[in-house]
Amino acid sequence: MNATGPYLFSVYRHVDDLVAGIRALKGEGMSEFQVFSPVPHHDITAALGGKRSPVRVFTLVGGLLGLAIGWGITIGPLGNFSLHVGGKPLLSIPPFGVVAYICTILFGALATIVGLFANTRLPQWNLTPGYDERISSDHFGIQVRCAPEEFERLARLLKTTGAIDIRRILR
Amino acid sequence: MTTDRAGMEYKLTYSDTDIDLMKTMRPAGRLYWALLTVLFLLVMAGGWAWWMQIQTGIGLAGKNSPVGWAMYITTFVYWVGIAHSGTLISAILFLVRVRWRAAVYRSAEAVTVFGLMTAGLFPFIHLGRVWVAHWILPVPNFDGLWPNFRSPLAWDVLAITTYMTVSSTFFLVGMLPDLAIVRDRVKGWRKKVYGFLAQGWQGTDTQWKHYTAAYVFLAALATPLVISVHSIVSWDFAMSIIPGWHSTIFAPYFVAGAIHSGLAMVVLLLIPLRRSFGIEKYITMHHLESLAKFIVFTALVVGFAYMVEFFAAWYGNEKYEKAIFLYRMVGEYAWAFWLLITTNVFVPLLLWSKKIRTSIPCLVVICISVEIGMWLERFVIIVTSLAHDYLPSAWGLYHPTLTDSMIVIGSFAWFFFLFMIFVKVLPAVSMWEVKEQLPPPLKERG
Repeated sequence: MNATGPYLFSVYRHVDDLVAGIRALKGEGMSEFQVFSPVPHHDITAALGGKRSPVRVFTLVGGLLGLAIGWGITIGPLGNFSLHVGGKPLLSIPPFGVVAYICTILFGALATIVGLFANTRLPQWNLTPGYDERISSDHFGIQVRCAPEEFERLARLLKTTGAIDIRRILR
Repeated sequence: MTTDRAGMEYKLTYSDTDIDLMKTMRPAGRLYWALLTVLFLLVMAGGWAWWMQIQTGIGLAGKNSPVGWAMYITTFVYWVGIAHSGTLISAILFLVRVRWRAAVYRSAEAVTVFGLMTAGLFPFIHLGRVWVAHWILPVPNFDGLWPNFRSPLAWDVLAITTYMTVSSTFFLVGMLPDLAIVRDRVKGWRKKVYGFLAQGWQGTDTQWKHYTAAYVFLAALATPLVISVHSIVSWDFAMSIIPGWHSTIFAPYFVAGAIHSGLAMVVLLLIPLRRSFGIEKYITMHHLESLAKFIVFTALVVGFAYMVEFFAAWYGNEKYEKAIFLYRMVGEYAWAFWLLITTNVFVPLLLWSKKIRTSIPCLVVICISVEIGMWLERFVIIVTSLAHDYLPSAWGLYHPTLTDSMIVIGSFAWFFFLFMIFVKVLPAVSMWEVKEQLPPPLKERG
């Protein structure tokens, strides 16, 4: 694979054609391609395969961090604020548990967002070259990086799978 | 003709969805601007009343000793309650795969976010000395203050700020694919604004993979908040020893009431939304009917909670507890008590009838009735218990003043003002999730 080679951007009208395009590329041993769709679709996910999203690890770590922070901000300062209130013990597990519970959710949610943005590489201020605005509405797309000499062959291949528009993107 | 998975007939394609649902964002007409102006003036009037209260002192509000919590806390609890249905519809119904949520959840989430933005004002208004509000936050300062985390008021601050953070995040993240649709349809400066808001969303397989995973986890994290936030709000009362407040059923009772009023508010906002923008084929009578059935359920739960509350007071045989419940029924505020029972429990039960729950005017009247009832419920709980606690020598009544009434009216105007701006600048119905409910474009279908 030539890293400086052109990109091929193909646009599809139908999801079954797109899936055929993905399978055709995989059949050719291609792995460096991106698929674009207006909604997530299980046929596309199944055709692409791949690992599960690591966002769940961010959620877990954030939640555990929040749990620790919740207990930390309630128990930690007890030495400096040793004032009995309402006859409750200084180290009051049930009320401090409420704070720990809330912090678990708060930090779990924030870490999920961090995980989402980190893994999707968002924000992206420049859209993918060749991005077709019809894709957010009702079209689908595949962007493949290929060597210059492979372009024509891949374009013909994707055309046979139902691509309605094929463009060469140089960058 | 294609049919969606919920069994409703649609002659819709993906692109029809974009065209139809972006109608809400078209330039506004005269009626919209007139309404917005009226709401803005009411917000200004409420703001002016608050300013006068800050200038003159908290005495301008009708609260007094013994009724130190009155309209402001009533309205605070009311708006937090309103906020609950959004997360119920967007998170819980998402996790249990209720398909009709797709067309209505965005507006319900907006109700959550704006409800919290309105509720969040009231602790500050109620404080009086609003300029020292930061003392409640766990921020070390030169006075050596630290919140008392054994107090439900400190939990409340944390719970509401967490709910606000999680629900706004869920709201904004859920909108990313729709903001990309808008970015790709508009031109000029709007393209730049929506391009920024969409954060570069392009619908790649990598983006969808992580997005759908994150969405599930956010929904899963938001779901316990539906239960916990209003439970914690209820503990503001239940953790005290005031008769009529010190009750273990307060948490589920408050949560059920919150969902009851929130669902009614969502219906009240969806009805003009679908009518004004001609999107009845997306927000169908099936959606309104489903929400109405939910309201019947919450009315029954709330009614049951009222009965249990009275039963516990009678069976517990605690004289102060019995006295306060008797006072609620026959005392100075009995009119509010009987009105809330009627509007919260009996009127919504009319929705058992299919004819009534599929009639738009009936739905509007019943939902307004629920809103009145739920506001009065909090008023009765808060004011009667404080007005009539242990010592007859300490009893006293609360009478609203122009200041607190104007602030409460201003809060309603503020909520509707925010919602009206939302429907014009952001996609009020989730386009990508509605598309998910439609059959995908397949070659075999042509």
